[in-house]
Amino acid sequence: MSSTPTPAGSLLTATGLHKAYGPTPALDGASFSVHPGEVVAVMGPSGSGKSTLLHCLAGIVTPDSGTITYDGRDLAGMSDAERSALRRGEFGFVFQFGQLVPELTCVENVALPLRLNGVKRKEAERRATAWLQKLEVDGLADKRPGEMSGGQGQRVAVARSLVTNPRVLFADEPTGALDSLNGERVMELLTEAARGANAAVVLVTHEARVAAYSDREVVVRDGRSRDMEYTR
Amino acid sequence: MTLLDDRPTRTAPAPTRPGLGGRLRDLGLGIRFAVSGGREGWIRALLTAVGVGLGVALLLGAASVPTFQQERDARGDARQLGVGTDDRLKPGDRTMLAVDASSEYRDVTIGGYLLRPEGAHPPLPPGVDKLPGPGEMVVSPALDQLLHSAEGKLLKERYDYRTVGTIHDSGLDNPFDLYLYVGSDSIKDGTDTSRIDHFGMNYPKEPMDPVLIVLIVLACIVLLVPVAIFIATAVRFGGERRDKRLAALRLVGADVPMTRRMAAGETLFGTLVGLVLGVVFFLAGRQLLGVVEIWRLSAFPSDFVPVPALAVLILVAVPLASVAVTVFALRSVVIEPLGVVRSGRVRGRRLWWRLPVPVVGVALLLASGPGDTLGTRGVVQISAGIAFTLIGLVLVLPWVVEATVRRLRGGPVPWQLAVRRLQLSTDGGSRAVAGITIAVAGGIALQMFTVGINDDFNKKTGQDPSRAQLGASAGFASGELAERMVTEFGATKGVRSVIGTVDSWASRTGAKPDADGILASVSVSVGSCSTLRELAKVDSCRDGDVFRVEGAENAGVDDELKIAPPGAKLDVGDPAVRWTVPADTRTVHSRRDPGGHYFGGLLVTPGALDVRELGNASTSAQVQVDQSVPDVLEYVRNTGFAINPGMHMYVYQTTQRDSEYASIRSGLFTAAALTMTLIAASMLVSQIEQLRDRRRLLSILVAYGTRRSTLAWSVLWQTAIPVVLGMAVAVTGGLGLGWLMLRMVDKPVTDWFLFLPLAGVGGATIAAVTLLSLPPLYRMMRPEGLRTE
Repeated sequence: MSSTPTPAGSLLTATGLHKAYGPTPALDGASFSVHPGEVVAVMGPSGSGKSTLLHCLAGIVTPDSGTITYDGRDLAGMSDAERSALRRGEFGFVFQFGQLVPELTCVENVALPLRLNGVKRKEAERRATAWLQKLEVDGLADKRPGEMSGGQGQRVAVARSLVTNPRVLFADEPTGALDSLNGERVMELLTEAARGANAAVVLVTHEARVAAYSDREVVVRDGRSRDMEYTR
Repeated sequence: MTLLDDRPTRTAPAPTRPGLGGRLRDLGLGIRFAVSGGREGWIRALLTAVGVGLGVALLLGAASVPTFQQERDARGDARQLGVGTDDRLKPGDRTMLAVDASSEYRDVTIGGYLLRPEGAHPPLPPGVDKLPGPGEMVVSPALDQLLHSAEGKLLKERYDYRTVGTIHDSGLDNPFDLYLYVGSDSIKDGTDTSRIDHFGMNYPKEPMDPVLIVLIVLACIVLLVPVAIFIATAVRFGGERRDKRLAALRLVGADVPMTRRMAAGETLFGTLVGLVLGVVFFLAGRQLLGVVEIWRLSAFPSDFVPVPALAVLILVAVPLASVAVTVFALRSVVIEPLGVVRSGRVRGRRLWWRLPVPVVGVALLLASGPGDTLGTRGVVQISAGIAFTLIGLVLVLPWVVEATVRRLRGGPVPWQLAVRRLQLSTDGGSRAVAGITIAVAGGIALQMFTVGINDDFNKKTGQDPSRAQLGASAGFASGELAERMVTEFGATKGVRSVIGTVDSWASRTGAKPDADGILASVSVSVGSCSTLRELAKVDSCRDGDVFRVEGAENAGVDDELKIAPPGAKLDVGDPAVRWTVPADTRTVHSRRDPGGHYFGGLLVTPGALDVRELGNASTSAQVQVDQSVPDVLEYVRNTGFAINPGMHMYVYQTTQRDSEYASIRSGLFTAAALTMTLIAASMLVSQIEQLRDRRRLLSILVAYGTRRSTLAWSVLWQTAIPVVLGMAVAVTGGLGLGWLMLRMVDKPVTDWFLFLPLAGVGGATIAAVTLLSLPPLYRMMRPEGLRTE
């Protein structure tokens, strides 16, 4: 059973999303909304459709049916190029693993989204360095991803996701590969930085302690979403 | 007290060096992983197997060339006319007259003989069960097919005989050989006829020109080294994925040497399957050569048998080399237990041991003497020099790529992604390009060398195809028949004009042979005024005129004219016709005829000497045709064959290429094309494999909004940078090697820009590989790559 979140004032809204991979349904009428500056945790067991919901919301995957509206614009009506441009400019991403380009240094990795947006290399790297400082990994600027720990790598990934000052940050199990201490530090830094930038955060996790950093929780089960009745 | 307290006390086993059994067990385990590795494992094994298989098939093909050559030559010798050593066979029970009935048809050559048995037991040509009777012929299957096709309609008019049998393989050069034997009851013993009592000649084999040997050595290295590189690349297909699997084994206690042996076992499995596939590809390929003609190349499958020693070498060396390559490649990989595979500390490539290899090669070539003094030792020295130089280029290339890439900075995102990737590991790039480098470098050297020695093998004929396109000559039993040839050529469809003469010899009436038995004689040719003007600088001419022609290419011919001053009495032909050189005979200068020759002797118009009175005579004709008439040359050839099947006919051309040289050159380019295709396939597989390993990263980059074109350009740069560097090394090395080789045969470099087409081919190969890897790249950039469940 799905409950539709109140869309008033929301930045990103999805209603009645359906998505199937072959004969397997991943989303079955899921709905979702997030407001500017709000941190929403999407929870649920493995295979429940959390990541698919995130991919649909971010315009990475096109749902089979349902609507997604970002800042009053219908994502379904956008071309692939327009959605790509939206992801480059307005969205940020943190994944569980394998997201840093192994051959680039940390500062180059963080500067990458800016450079994809056409920012000159020196300026992009200056801004990237500033974000590395905020995430307390500026000492790793010239290291490659293979030369640092998992926790350090995730902080670099968070810096990269925020360097473009996105309005929405999508984080898919950002601490899934980290120990609890590192995971908590990454979450603190992520949410602080996002709130500081007034960015909405869509946080996919199956861990309650990670979800605890959110303002609101949405539970996805069997492809359907349900808002939890609490606020922090 | 717990249950755990009850367990027996054990100490950790001390590490031991495994014996042969243990090592074999590890290898076997690797083979088992390859077999039971699921879809991924099979794909990896299959990629390796197909790669090794293609390489092995090519190697087996190369190992079959000596047998192929030997078998083909043996069949060729077996069908030569057995004229005996003294050339003076008398007619007998086992003798037979034979006339060469070969001719050209469009762009193919038909070989064969007209045969007339003189006794009851004539010899049978090889591959023929029964001699054809008069008006009958036996033909090769390919000729039979051609004669019965629409394409062979005009040829059927030429060989208009009843087919009564087929020539079997033992009498043919190759499956597409166009050959025939025609039975005849009309041919007579004469200048164009041979009397034989058997078929088959055992010609003493002349040693091959040392220059050609050098050419073949170069070709073998150029073609086979890329195949070896390709095999080395193929056994590394899927290596990164395998290393991840091995990391899991480290977790359960496998040590580093064990993982290496298991990796070797996996490779061994792929290689052994590859050997089987290679044999299958080879067998299929040789069957194919038996039924399809590829670039004029075909062979009987039974000819293509590898030299046993080489076959054994291939079947043993390839698996051993593949295992060695795998173990060597793992030296730079640290496989750790926690599923972590990290490249070992990158140590800069060192030039000190790489550079001496090409330097030694160059030194060996510089120390070689001129080509015409080459002995066995010289050929070995040159072969070693070429091998060292080319292999040295491949060794130097990774250092050049690494040193250059290390210095690259900045640039747009695709450039940066590519450069950084190459800086992290130049192995893949260099490896893939090494094959192309050696093929291009060798190709350039080969090209320079063949063009440089062109003068030796491509002779200027001196012929002038603008004045006449076809020449014909034949001997006739009478002047009348000889005259008929000229007339009939003139009446043939599409013929514009015929420069035709009836040729004979004349000696002074009553003259006796000298002490050596030689009778002084002078050439006498009879033709119309228009014909005589093509042979000598004749200003005015009327029927009945006679000219003494001086200035022939052979100075001795002018001396012969001394016996034929105006008023001299001559005996012309055999049987002789009495004839007096007219008193008003003028002396003129010779002129180069369309066939490239300068006539010398007496030129006579028909009004001055009736050719019909002459006995044996020969004719030469130079025919000018209207080239807008389709198949005009075939009409002329048909006319010539109808007049005299033994007539020699030849198309005029400005240059004539030595056939041995031409066949080596065409073989080289065929093989080079195959090698290039093989290398391109290897590069494509490596590229796709690398993309597969980066599937998730590519999807994440797309999630970030990265344009597809950005990643496509990055792939292009990643391929192009090593390739451009490889091309630079190849062009430099190729030009240097070409210069050295020409220096050895004392020839100058005629064209330094010959590398452009081959460099272009190399570049096009890269472009093709990049373009073909774009569809998989785009597929792997789909969001599905983000899914982990």
